[in-house]
Amino acid sequence: MMENKSQPMVKINNIHKVFGRDLHVLRGVDLEVHKGETVVILGASGSGKSTLLRCINFLEEPSAGTVEVDNIVIHAGEKDKDRENRILDIRKRTGMCFQAFNLFPHMNVLENIIEGPVTVLGHEKQKAIHYAEELLDWVGLMDKRDEYPSRLSGGQQQRVAIARSLAMKPKVMLFDEPTSALDPELVGEVVEVMERLAKEGMTIIAVTHELHFARDVADRVFIMDEGNWIEEGTPEKIFNNPDNVRTRQFLAHIL
Amino acid sequence: MADKSLRHGDAGIPPEAQAVLRKIETDKARYKRNVIISFIILAVLMVTTLIVLGLDFTFMLKWLPFILAGSGYTFLVASLAIALACILAVVGALGRLSRNPVFNSIATSYVSLIRGTPLLVQVYMWYLALPQIGKALEGYGFVGIQALFTLPALPAGILALGVCYGAYMTETVRAGIQSIKIGQTEAAKALGMTRTQTMKRVIFPQALRVIIPPVSNEFIAMIKDSSLVSLMGVWELSYRAIKVGRRHFQSLEMLIMVALIYWAMCILLQYFQEKIEKHMARGDRGI
Repeated sequence: MMENKSQPMVKINNIHKVFGRDLHVLRGVDLEVHKGETVVILGASGSGKSTLLRCINFLEEPSAGTVEVDNIVIHAGEKDKDRENRILDIRKRTGMCFQAFNLFPHMNVLENIIEGPVTVLGHEKQKAIHYAEELLDWVGLMDKRDEYPSRLSGGQQQRVAIARSLAMKPKVMLFDEPTSALDPELVGEVVEVMERLAKEGMTIIAVTHELHFARDVADRVFIMDEGNWIEEGTPEKIFNNPDNVRTRQFLAHIL
Repeated sequence: MADKSLRHGDAGIPPEAQAVLRKIETDKARYKRNVIISFIILAVLMVTTLIVLGLDFTFMLKWLPFILAGSGYTFLVASLAIALACILAVVGALGRLSRNPVFNSIATSYVSLIRGTPLLVQVYMWYLALPQIGKALEGYGFVGIQALFTLPALPAGILALGVCYGAYMTETVRAGIQSIKIGQTEAAKALGMTRTQTMKRVIFPQALRVIIPPVSNEFIAMIKDSSLVSLMGVWELSYRAIKVGRRHFQSLEMLIMVALIYWAMCILLQYFQEKIEKHMARGDRGI
């Protein structure tokens, strides 16, 4: 464990992201997340939280800076033939859950989950199905195995999406506002799955407005404003005794 | 699905609600029945018109096998041209969406040029003008190319139709691909899929569903446009009908007959379209 502590799972160095010519969304962000750690990123909408998360698996190309996931290093703007492969390698090691779930509507639940292992990792279909069923059981949706996503509730869809990500056996899970599109009564079932995931030692970076998750599950909480951190710390410190005035304002606003 | 939960015998549904439900159901049934009756009346009207016009049915029956024999050409030309058009449409759509400047500009010019010129001109281009191009090239030292460029009527017709419809369908396929939400691409990317895998496994299967109705439209149009190969002397359906009709001064009979044959072919195509659409819709709510 100590050894892992010295080697961060995710290391982001001085990331900038500029959209178009002058929309400077991220302004030199640094972040280190250790193995097994759960980090929650909070911040007002438009502050750059999602963009940062999407820079980690290169759904968004950072304009400057360095991203390192599980010892794979990629610099922004670097010209190297091998770069595309390293990006794919990072994506294979990171799972991502989206606000809009983004399940594949033309595949049923099981097909959604085995798609990654079979197509990307080249696993045998039977083996993939076996593991997919374990995961379905784990997220409590074994009975929906053969349903199509359109027949599931939002909460069920998001749990399938989590299972789909986990099927790749990722080292890190990225959650991009996983409960924001859900009806209030469905939020709990998704948060409960995320909690169990954290307890089982998954490295998690979550952008979420679920304060309960931030307070009870996160090891560290980061507050973003205008493209950089304004505060970080343990949940106790952030929620009980924040240093920054803006943090206080933000928390007062969403609490 | 919905009416299962509203079963009439269900306790708790008040009688007045049941009356409303019953009325909705009888209205539906009546509508269905009336549609069928209307169709039958239309058909009877059509047949009576034909009889009133004094059509020579024995003449029609006599020439039916000869005309039908031409449908083999129609079918051959249309199906090969459709296959060619599908391939060109997919390649063309990928080109139109490509960030490779050469690939993109070739695809864009292809669509623009072909859509901007009459099919009739294109048919003659393949049949009559291509040999001349071959001749010019032969003059530059490409020995034997003229023979290669001199196409018989059928291949020329298939190429003309396939290339032309490929251009129209390129735009259909491109629109279909672009109609798939960006989140699907992102989910595929996040799993570590390459561009090709994303296209093949995620985007294209979903786009296919969107483009099947417009592509079926193109197919139906193509079956009828295949009659253009008669310009090059191929004895396909309409050519035979027109020839026979003119020779015996009974064009009406022949034209009506050939129209009905085309119609039947298109109905068949539409039947398959509906089958495929139903199969594709399996991920939808309520099926």
